Amino acid sequence: MVAARANKAHRDERIALVFLMGSSGIFVLAMATILLFLLVNGTKLFYADHVSPLAFLFGTEWDGDAGKFGAAPFIAGSIVATGLAILLGGPLGVAIGLFFSELAPKRVAAAFKPAIEVLVGIPSIVYGWIGLTLLVPFLATVTHTQGNGILAAGLVLSIMILPTVISLSEDALRVVPTALREGSAALGATRWETMSRVLIPAASSGLAVAVILGIARAIGETLAVQLVLGNAPVMPKSLLMSASALTSEIVMEMGEAPDGSPFRHALFSMALLLLLVAMGLIVLIRLALRKRT
Amino acid sequence: MLETLDAKAAPLRNKMLIDDLNVYYGAFHAIKNANLDVPDRRVMALIGPSGCGKSTFLRALNRMHDLTPGARVTGTVTLDGNDIYAPDIDPVTVRHRIGMVFQRPNPFPKSIFENVVYGPKIHGEHNAKRLVEIAEKSLRAAALWDEAKDRLHKSALELSGGQQQRLCIARVLAVEPEVILMDEPASALDPIATSKIEDLIGELKKDYTVIIVTHSMQQAARISDFTTFFLLGDLIEVGTTSDIFTRPKDKRTEDYITGRYG
Amino acid sequence: MARALSTAPPVAKTFVSSNARSRRAIDKVATAGLWIAASAVVALLLLFIGYLFWQGYSEISWHFLTGYPQSATAGGGVGPEIFNSFYILVLTLTFTLPISILAGIYLQEYSGPGRFRDIVQFSAESLATVPSIVMALFGLLVFVQILGWHFSALGGALTLTFLNLPAMMRVTQQALASVPATYREASMGLGATKWQTVLRAILPSAIGPLTTGVVLVSGRIFGETAALIFTAGSSVSYGASAYDFNPFHTAETLAVHLYSTQREGLVPDATQIANGSALVLLVMVLVFNVVARVVGRQLTRRFTGKA
Repeated sequence: MVAARANKAHRDERIALVFLMGSSGIFVLAMATILLFLLVNGTKLFYADHVSPLAFLFGTEWDGDAGKFGAAPFIAGSIVATGLAILLGGPLGVAIGLFFSELAPKRVAAAFKPAIEVLVGIPSIVYGWIGLTLLVPFLATVTHTQGNGILAAGLVLSIMILPTVISLSEDALRVVPTALREGSAALGATRWETMSRVLIPAASSGLAVAVILGIARAIGETLAVQLVLGNAPVMPKSLLMSASALTSEIVMEMGEAPDGSPFRHALFSMALLLLLVAMGLIVLIRLALRKRT
Repeated sequence: MLETLDAKAAPLRNKMLIDDLNVYYGAFHAIKNANLDVPDRRVMALIGPSGCGKSTFLRALNRMHDLTPGARVTGTVTLDGNDIYAPDIDPVTVRHRIGMVFQRPNPFPKSIFENVVYGPKIHGEHNAKRLVEIAEKSLRAAALWDEAKDRLHKSALELSGGQQQRLCIARVLAVEPEVILMDEPASALDPIATSKIEDLIGELKKDYTVIIVTHSMQQAARISDFTTFFLLGDLIEVGTTSDIFTRPKDKRTEDYITGRYG
Repeated sequence: MARALSTAPPVAKTFVSSNARSRRAIDKVATAGLWIAASAVVALLLLFIGYLFWQGYSEISWHFLTGYPQSATAGGGVGPEIFNSFYILVLTLTFTLPISILAGIYLQEYSGPGRFRDIVQFSAESLATVPSIVMALFGLLVFVQILGWHFSALGGALTLTFLNLPAMMRVTQQALASVPATYREASMGLGATKWQTVLRAILPSAIGPLTTGVVLVSGRIFGETAALIFTAGSSVSYGASAYDFNPFHTAETLAVHLYSTQREGLVPDATQIANGSALVLLVMVLVFNVVARVVGRQLTRRFTGKA
């Protein structure tokens, strides 16, 4: 009787293992499928419509009717907006991560942390709406321009990436052993000196990961930037001029691009580019983490 | 056998006076009314069974409890006549003059050189030449120069445990303190590394006042001039090392020395 | 010993520290700076919440929350959109939860280091960084075009599944990691198989953090826009009823409705509808957050007997 029950348990174990491994395998299948589909459709512009990849990546003219598919305006827009976002949100996020790990008394942390969690949960379309109806008019008044453009996008993005950077920075800082804090204090360092000279360097690989993931989040953000960028498909000449990014262009034009047209293929190429950049960032993260050990 | 006072040693004066020191962790009364005179340029050992408060007492001497939320210290600890707990005293300057070496070596994940000059840099020394001088002087004083001089800019974490601990001592020496507090500095090390540290302490006491917590009575007997016995937060007895180990006045001290409890 | 203090000459000094005051000032400024940074972000959040309430409050009414959207006239509601948001959420969870939880269990409890584990983790990490618009195009290709479903709730849910698999798996792994090792050891020590241990000892203990995580991710699924625009569509199905359970019909969610309303601007009260929709979305986020914490805590108390 006992043996029979044991046999059943072992059989259950084997069945369970099949489902467990199968589910894990679905992740691999999913990623492979996405990569495959994007590769096939993202390169049609090159092999079916005979547009050169260089013309695509570096051409500054985007005019579907005239057959011009230079995506440089969007690439530039994405890069500058993301750069601005990380320039503002990166240090701010690390600073707040420092605040939570070193400075905040328990009660203050308990009050502030839920606020960060809510910030994560706000849908990007709502961020975009706030940007469009609050930030852009504000910028317009202050700078006497239309108000939209890369500055607006960068500001909105910097807020959106804050929770990611904050929580990863905090984790990276908490992991630094207390013995290092004590050693620094015992040598007569002030708290800020310990933070800047010992903690931040010691946590540097974790902080790098925080920043890279912030970049990944910013570069992939679609709706929020689409509402505040202005969406003119031109190279960004100033921070306060209407501009475009890869993500915003795709979401704007996909509805109007006929199936099988070079225009649609070009949009898929932009999507492929985004995917490759995202995966490149993953590799960068793994390198940063390897440097730690 | 037991070290008697060296006639060539500096004349006997008090470097630190501890009066009515109490340390509380929340409601827990960890150190009760401790009184101690610490002689200058001598080694004072603090002994006692585990959990008796020796480390807690030591940490009160350089205001490390300031960093622990919930810890409270009352009483006075004077260094050359100045109470380090006076309200207008900045703990940062206290720790400049009273350094600490910890039980487990805790070098920063930086190069050996950067570890040693960390203190001087903070305290405002930026002259590159002087920093190199300080580094060499401190590493020599910590008996680590020969092993370190060819790898000054390599990571301190590549050193062995004993070397790392000597690096931590060099790091403390570089800020030129007057008193060095040591919290069981050799307990995490092998016997060879331990004896190197003990030799080093014998050298250090020529220039510094050393207070060392140790769980090994043999170590206290080997290296210290004076010994203080703690039990359950009370300072039971203090005297010259030879007196404490051969003619203890308090029965509790005698019981500990003779191994009746650990 | 006399209580006189030492007047012996100090150790020869190589440097003199004279900067204590400026260092103290820097420390104070830096500390203040960090406090200001954290408070500013919290204040910003309160600003957003206040702004959305102020703008959208007047639009909220029973009619708005349950009524049909209008295509050209004023007075439309978002009832079907709210329904669709929940409907797609439930559909998405139906697919995402089993796969992610099982995979999370496998990675956390079963697999040792090895090729398969590395590939799975790399896939999960990559999947997590795929931008939602890219996933939208993938969904467009597969579900709308190749499978020919056109805009459908199911297509949207499956796309969202792909998008959220990594997040749910991470939630599972963290929940499992929060269970003390002693539970596993005790269970295995009593002769249980690994699966029995997971099912009976570990999962019940992890149910609190797991639920919290699932509800928080659900909140994000509720607000997802980009991945749904081209898969579930930007219109609600008219005809049968507003509350359409057919997964093959187009299903505009509240978030997508906010996007399409402000984009097209056809109805005269587009701004008000957008404001109202934004407020409802915000309130839903807050509700999801609160529910996540409360339910998580209750479940932990129920299943493990500790707070």
